[in-house]
Amino acid sequence: MLDLLAQTGLNAVYAASYISLVAVGLVLIFGVMGVINFAHGELFMAGSYVVVAVYADMHMPFFLAVVVGLIFVGCLGLLMERALFRPLRDNPLGGLVASIGFLMILQALASIGFGVRMEFIPPVTQHVIWLSDSVSIPLARVYVIVAAILLLSALWYFLKRTRFGWALRASAQDPQAAELQGISIAHTARIAMFIGAGLAGIAGALTAPLISVNPHMGHSVIVTAFIVIIVGGVGSLEGAIIASVAYAFVHTFVTTFYGGVIADITGLMLMLIVLIVKPTGLFGSADRA
Amino acid sequence: MISKIMARGLSRRTFLKSTAITAASAALPSMSLAAGEPIKIGFLAPLTGAVAAWGKPGLDGCQIWAERVNAAGGIELSDGKHPVEFISYDNEYDPAKARTGATKLIREDGVSFIMMLGGDTWPGVQPVADKTGMLFSTLLPSDLSPDSTTLLAPAEVHPIYLVTGVDYLADTYPDAKTAVICAQDDALGLPSVATYLAAFEARGIDVVEEPLLFDPATTDFAPIVTRLMASNPDIICLDTCYSDYVHPICEQLFQQGYAGKLISATADFYDQMIAKTSKEFMEGFIFQFPDFDDPALAGDNVNFEDAGGFYQTYAERHPGEWGAVSWEYASIMDLWKAAAEKAGSADPEAVITAMKEGGTGKHAFGDAVWWGTELFGIDNALVGDWPVVVIEDGKAVIKGFKSIPDWYDQHGDLLIKHMQAYNQMYDQRG
Repeated sequence: MLDLLAQTGLNAVYAASYISLVAVGLVLIFGVMGVINFAHGELFMAGSYVVVAVYADMHMPFFLAVVVGLIFVGCLGLLMERALFRPLRDNPLGGLVASIGFLMILQALASIGFGVRMEFIPPVTQHVIWLSDSVSIPLARVYVIVAAILLLSALWYFLKRTRFGWALRASAQDPQAAELQGISIAHTARIAMFIGAGLAGIAGALTAPLISVNPHMGHSVIVTAFIVIIVGGVGSLEGAIIASVAYAFVHTFVTTFYGGVIADITGLMLMLIVLIVKPTGLFGSADRA
Repeated sequence: MISKIMARGLSRRTFLKSTAITAASAALPSMSLAAGEPIKIGFLAPLTGAVAAWGKPGLDGCQIWAERVNAAGGIELSDGKHPVEFISYDNEYDPAKARTGATKLIREDGVSFIMMLGGDTWPGVQPVADKTGMLFSTLLPSDLSPDSTTLLAPAEVHPIYLVTGVDYLADTYPDAKTAVICAQDDALGLPSVATYLAAFEARGIDVVEEPLLFDPATTDFAPIVTRLMASNPDIICLDTCYSDYVHPICEQLFQQGYAGKLISATADFYDQMIAKTSKEFMEGFIFQFPDFDDPALAGDNVNFEDAGGFYQTYAERHPGEWGAVSWEYASIMDLWKAAAEKAGSADPEAVITAMKEGGTGKHAFGDAVWWGTELFGIDNALVGDWPVVVIEDGKAVIKGFKSIPDWYDQHGDLLIKHMQAYNQMYDQRG
């Protein structure tokens, strides 16, 4: 039983890692742009397809493909900011609808470019770290966990300790006041989109060899991310990380002990309970919600 | 106006059904063909989207089939030979799009026969089929019911053939006495669960946990695999899952150190599964869909013509894409062609009469009988032998053909019991 608990705990840590990368990116975009980016799951998908193209098809090193995934999807974020969200800055609903349209475009492009079938990605490594006779974690999953810790730490440092980070937080808290202080809202929006999209891209790239990569893979990711940011508090980065960990542990343990369908229901129940008890989410503030 | 009609008691469902029927029947073209005019066959299946892997490879197989038939002169009806032409419609596995597609194929394209994957899309098409009398085929006999007499399941009797794999497993590994099952929680997975439960019970294999159902939106299978392995079973059964699930589940089983037997309905693209695990891990993996270059398919009992040549052409044109359905729609066309030639007509009623004459038919894997009254309420499933396939030294090998009717004669009560428990009998489906 102890081994089962330990194995389930390791599974949950991995799940928390990639969910938090996606959710933090989504929160960052919402915080600065004020837009719910429905295409965020497809940015995750785009990161996975970069790995298909660069690592699986062109036989380049995996970690190079991951870096390319981050940059490419970050640039997709810049494109979204310039073409969709900036013209619709005063119309959050318009931005949301535009992101749904972009989602469909990305799905269609993936289908045209790579076909509709699941992509084959050779394993990066088959090395498995055995902690006991029946508790193990594949090295490829350790990569995801380590990358998530490093990236989220770097993001924390960037937001708390750098001038750009301060500008970003100021823009998120009060765009007009920030603009009066000489902060370029357009510039901070570009940074937020690049980082937010890039985090989704790198999450997709890192996990690509571990999941089924297909044009519709973004759907389940965005549903999970929405649950997480609602539980954590829309607009709260700390809330997104803590809610990711909480959701991942609840979902993973319920899946293992009661089944996957009950786990999905439990995740949604968790969200509903938080909405009833604290509608702003665990770490959200009333003005953001 | 519509709201007034609705207010008088016409349900939305009835209104939509009537509209679809009217639209389809009003414009139903004549089935008669001019001499030499192509016979048009509708291919109404998912060609994009998550279920496309069970549609697109089938269309690719049909194109090869059509080329071979046309090169041999076409289909001979009473008025002479006709080439055959496939007209596809991507229903994206959506019932409403499937209904639109069926109407379009019948009304605008004048097809003589429509092949479908079936499943969730059939309820959208059923009103059109019932009214027009168009002949349809499905790969999923769970669509069959006494209400639709022109729907046939002539290729795949999913999931009943799964019993043959369990029989082989029990015969080959008599010490394997415990099993667990995981399945996607949908119309595809649940009847399979019931069938595997019946098959395991018939052979005295104890299913030690309730079948573990997962949401088709699942991306991380590690927790599911951890649960499957928790009871240390001799056998893990992957049920009927999309390859998007079979692959990551197998990879997780490999990484978490599973060393028992594996059985599954499919192992599409098993070479990729081997690449993600190891040849040793996949050795002995039991499933149900052979590669058609298997020497066992060159036997006299097999009715699929030149299976090896078909496979070779397919592999050349679509390398690495051979899957469970690559041959199935083409095999249905073999049956349809034989029946149309026998009837001398492409008329749906004449073809179905010729196809079912004598209660027997030439299934791809051998002579078979039209069957299914107890399970489906109608004898519209063509059932006979089905191959058991095992991965040996990195290659799928047919280990033998086993009779589904023979199994059913002995254990049919078990199958009905479990089907009823999962609400999968034809009179239980909503």
